[in-house]
Amino acid sequence: MLLLKKLHKWLSLLVGLQLLVWLGTGLYFNLMDHQKASGNQYKQTPVVAQVDINRLVEPQLVLSQSKQVVSLKQISLLEHPYYLLTHNKGLYSHFDNDYSLVDAYTAEPVVIDETMVRKLAQSSYNGKGVIKNAVKLSPPYEDIPREQNEVWQVNYADYIQTSVYIDAGSGRIIKHSNDDKRFVDIFFMLHFMDYGTEGSFNNVQIILFSLFTLFFSLTGFIWTIELLFNGQYKVRFGNKSRTLALFDKDLELIGEFDLATNTNLLDGLIDHDIALSSTCGGGGTCGQCKVRLDSSVKVTSAEHVLLTKEQLQQGYRLACQHDATETKRLTLIDVTKAKKYLLELTHSEFISPYIKELRFKVLGGEKLKFKAGAHLRFYIPPAKGISIPARLPDAFKYHWRDIEYFEYEHQACSRSYSLANGDGQIEAGTNELKFTVKIQNAPNKSIYPGVGSSYICNLGLGQTIEAAGPFEDFHAKPSSNKTMMLIGAGSGMAPLKSLIEEQLCFYQKERKETRGIYFFYGARTEEDLLYKDELYRLSRKYPNFFYYPVLSRPHKNWSGAKGYVQDLLTSNINKICQIDGVEFYLCGPPNMMSATINLLKTKNVDATNIAFDEFI
Amino acid sequence: MVIFDIDYIHGNSLVVNHQAKVNVDEITYPLSALAKQYPDAKNIAVEVFIEQAVYRFTEHDEKYVVNASNGEKISPLNKVVAISAAKHYYSGDGAVLESELITDNPPFELSRRALPAWRVNFDDFGSPSIYVSAQTGKLVSKRHEFWRIFDLMFSLHVMDYEEEDPSNKLLFWFTLFSIFAAITGGVLSYFVIFKNRAKNTLDKSMGVAR
Repeated sequence: MLLLKKLHKWLSLLVGLQLLVWLGTGLYFNLMDHQKASGNQYKQTPVVAQVDINRLVEPQLVLSQSKQVVSLKQISLLEHPYYLLTHNKGLYSHFDNDYSLVDAYTAEPVVIDETMVRKLAQSSYNGKGVIKNAVKLSPPYEDIPREQNEVWQVNYADYIQTSVYIDAGSGRIIKHSNDDKRFVDIFFMLHFMDYGTEGSFNNVQIILFSLFTLFFSLTGFIWTIELLFNGQYKVRFGNKSRTLALFDKDLELIGEFDLATNTNLLDGLIDHDIALSSTCGGGGTCGQCKVRLDSSVKVTSAEHVLLTKEQLQQGYRLACQHDATETKRLTLIDVTKAKKYLLELTHSEFISPYIKELRFKVLGGEKLKFKAGAHLRFYIPPAKGISIPARLPDAFKYHWRDIEYFEYEHQACSRSYSLANGDGQIEAGTNELKFTVKIQNAPNKSIYPGVGSSYICNLGLGQTIEAAGPFEDFHAKPSSNKTMMLIGAGSGMAPLKSLIEEQLCFYQKERKETRGIYFFYGARTEEDLLYKDELYRLSRKYPNFFYYPVLSRPHKNWSGAKGYVQDLLTSNINKICQIDGVEFYLCGPPNMMSATINLLKTKNVDATNIAFDEFI
Repeated sequence: MVIFDIDYIHGNSLVVNHQAKVNVDEITYPLSALAKQYPDAKNIAVEVFIEQAVYRFTEHDEKYVVNASNGEKISPLNKVVAISAAKHYYSGDGAVLESELITDNPPFELSRRALPAWRVNFDDFGSPSIYVSAQTGKLVSKRHEFWRIFDLMFSLHVMDYEEEDPSNKLLFWFTLFSIFAAITGGVLSYFVIFKNRAKNTLDKSMGVAR
């Protein structure tokens, strides 16, 4: 099915334009004036000769003096009878034929010359134009592509450039053509893809495109059937809802909930403050919003890819792929404490040229409990945005000098940001949530800046925003005396700092044997080193905590490590400790993450010892 | 439709294009005699009909075939002559299955102008039919299954199931809807390919967004 959809997408690119050409020209044929399109605007039937049968020469006499014939036929040209002798006959008149003409009254052989051709043309023409010229031509002809015999072309000086084609052998009027007809011929050429001189639709290119189009239609048809079976073509009226029985992961009934049927379960559950984890926001690509439904619920193609066969059999589905009409029971698998909250911004401050520390108060007085490393999903409303943040401190304006200022509008979306709370605030629960958010800027108008980060970093104090959480996908393993190594860069600081503070606090309180905690943090310049003073202070206070900042573009007087954080790690990893029992925690930009994971793999670090928080 | 050669569809390969020449010595019945018998004859021709020189002409809107050796009237063709003419034109070697004279209500594959005509069916690949004019003895049409399928497909192509006229309302609306669907599909593809890419690159490198 996936292959089929891919095929469909690529075929659409290949076939798309030609399909429009076919449809457009087809519509033209449907609407065109057929009288004009025939080219017969000024065509008339020539007057036929009144023949006196008794004056006709005996055919026998003519034949005895001529080349052998297949047929001798009395015809009329310019109101005079002639015998047309066909020496070699084609299956059709436009196929190769061999003719000669004889006067039917005198038996004189006649040769069709320019004078006669001009008269013949005039006898079939009722327009007001005069003859411009008459020329004898050999095939092929643009106006009559299928014709194989020599013809005379008589051109008229009228407003539609009429041309009369006359068979050079028999004097027969083959066809009238004019600009209207030629215009239609261009459409036929496009419709038949007849770019050569074939005069038909039996060419390679149209056969190929027809086959592609056929496959395109077939794959589309199958796709449609699949969507139909998955119930994605339902028509719904109004905002109806349906009652579902909700169970927790121990199959205990939580209660009955009314869920709207016009939205998927993922969004429907949010109305009841049940927020499932989802990084794709309902697109069916992250596979995180797993729930259990009645096992009879249809399986979508996204679920075939993201869930195992066993899971599907047990009724595991993705909440974003189904709605409340499809099931009666819904079992939550990861019951999180996640809920929807309304947050009020209380503090917003640049801590580096591109990164802000934001603090929000949870309205309603509730306190959130969560493990360090957790994140919240913010619901960004549709709004206008600006490419350069307002209230930019003077000290950082220099760093934004290359960014073009522009305004843009964006649609609603959701974005997840890691909590940066630490320092003992977590265990008791906190009413103040802390984030470090990097404003993702865009160099020019061709691309929007990060709409989520720009939006929340430009919020004014006192403004509110909705967010759901906390989601605890990234957190410290159960406490042990294993060494922790944390590697991060940029705004990957937030969850890592939270983890560090959680650990340091815990071990101080419990007064247990201390474990080694190493923090490698990469940035560009000194200004980008977040929480530098605080981290240095912690490393002095706790003998088991080691802080290694590394800069890729340091100023001259920087005495620390230079380069990328993964490079520093490569050269030092073996010096620091035995790599076996170490737990690794990673958070940073994609390049840093993949390089570090590859490095750890080459050092044979067990995958279960690597935890990472991805920027997706 | 485009895969099949249009000449083949027209049935050109079903018939022999005879080039038998008129034997002058056979014409022992002169035009002057014919003129006496048929004083209003028009469009007179001397041709070969199954290896016999004949006169063909029209008189009072009726067409005639007359033996050029003795002036005997051959038209209208009887069944035996019609079948031998059809066999003469037919290029295959299948046996004659059946024959019938059609004077009214021609089948969809025969023009009304060709009436009256003999339809001679041959037992061969593609169920070929050879149509011979009962008045002139000439080959008026040749059809096989591939032409019939092609014809059906053409009526589907132009969505006219009665006259195969491309200027019908049904086709107009469907073409219009199709163009609309194709354009919206194109716009959708554009957004999926280009706008999504722009969004994705940013989301991937966005802050602590996940």
